[in-house]
Amino acid sequence: MTSRLLGWTLAIAALAAAGTASAHHSFAPYEPDMQIRLHGTVTKFTWQNPHVYIELEGAEAGNEAAETEIWLIECANPGILNRVGWKFNMVKEGDVIDIAVAPMRNGQPAALLKAIKLPNGEIHGNGGPAGPATISLEN
Amino acid sequence: MTRTAKRRLVLLAAPALLLAAPAVAQEESEYGPRDIGGTWERYPSAFSGLGSDSEAPVGPQPVPDPPLKAEYFPAWKAEQEEAEALTEAGLPPATNYTHCIGEGMPGMMMGMFPMEVLVNDRPDGTDQVTIIQEAYNQVRRIYMDEAPPEPEDAEPRFAGHSGAHWEGDTLVVETTGVKDYVGYRNVPHSMNMRITERISLLDDPEYMQNEITVTDPEYLTGPWSWTWMYKRWPGYKMQEYVCEDNLWGADAASGAATLTIDLEDD
Repeated sequence: MTSRLLGWTLAIAALAAAGTASAHHSFAPYEPDMQIRLHGTVTKFTWQNPHVYIELEGAEAGNEAAETEIWLIECANPGILNRVGWKFNMVKEGDVIDIAVAPMRNGQPAALLKAIKLPNGEIHGNGGPAGPATISLEN
Repeated sequence: MTRTAKRRLVLLAAPALLLAAPAVAQEESEYGPRDIGGTWERYPSAFSGLGSDSEAPVGPQPVPDPPLKAEYFPAWKAEQEEAEALTEAGLPPATNYTHCIGEGMPGMMMGMFPMEVLVNDRPDGTDQVTIIQEAYNQVRRIYMDEAPPEPEDAEPRFAGHSGAHWEGDTLVVETTGVKDYVGYRNVPHSMNMRITERISLLDDPEYMQNEITVTDPEYLTGPWSWTWMYKRWPGYKMQEYVCEDNLWGADAASGAATLTIDLEDD
């Protein structure tokens, strides 16, 4: 899928989801209007309900002052992710990835995934309820 | 096997009064007027694009506020507004969802995730319609040609107890026995709440509507009614949803939904 098509798909999904809740909890604890790009290595990947999680040892890309730390990255649930083209073994421990995320508003080292760029360059969104990436992972 | 709606055009004889008019071409579906079985998604859908199909039916109106009695409505409204404000501030109150507890009735019929309807014609005559909501693996069993138990005899459950019958091509489902703890939109209800659903295919049988009416003589001044709609999702295979790793809970002091972060940095 081209990034432009992916972008449109995410935007349409987000519009359709406006005013609806996730099937587990509100995403309000995450920054609504701020996203950052993290670059790092997957240290753990759990494909479980109610949410898939990635633990990432990494730092904000392009920010030389950013320290490397471990982040808990919240993804949608396996059902939603399967419906938008993920696979249960798509992410593996040791993968070096780039992600667009909305950090927790309270400063905890956790964030809501918006999009992920896999080692092979594929970019995937996180389903309608999580909303689209507003920053590019292209380069 | 993926089922694709196969349609064919048939010519219908012109009504006697319109003999002069040309014969009308009308689409005939492979689905009969009572074929509610299959997999469905909420319509309009949150999780798959509808495209720009100008033929698609108009979606339902938003669910109205409940006609709660004067002694209950202000407190309910204030609670909703407080929850909205807290959510806006990033501190959404924990709900049943936060604790991985499904909606129960009637909320599970909203179709948060895809929904499967199974229509069983059993050899022993105890016909049943089973509805499975993917979110939280919720299941409800609707017994045909039975009335649900009276509220005083209904063991409280999330999905309640449901009986149904056909009125023409509309499946009329009556439900009693929904736990008072199960509150759609946090609307309080008593064990005397009754839910009536009128489920029918639209003229275009790719779509199904569910006209819901809630009555409760203890809390409501009159019926609370709205419609939910669904679109067929041929070939969709339902997924499992077991909450095996819930990191969310309620903050003991504030009641806000809180994420437990226990990172493995060893």
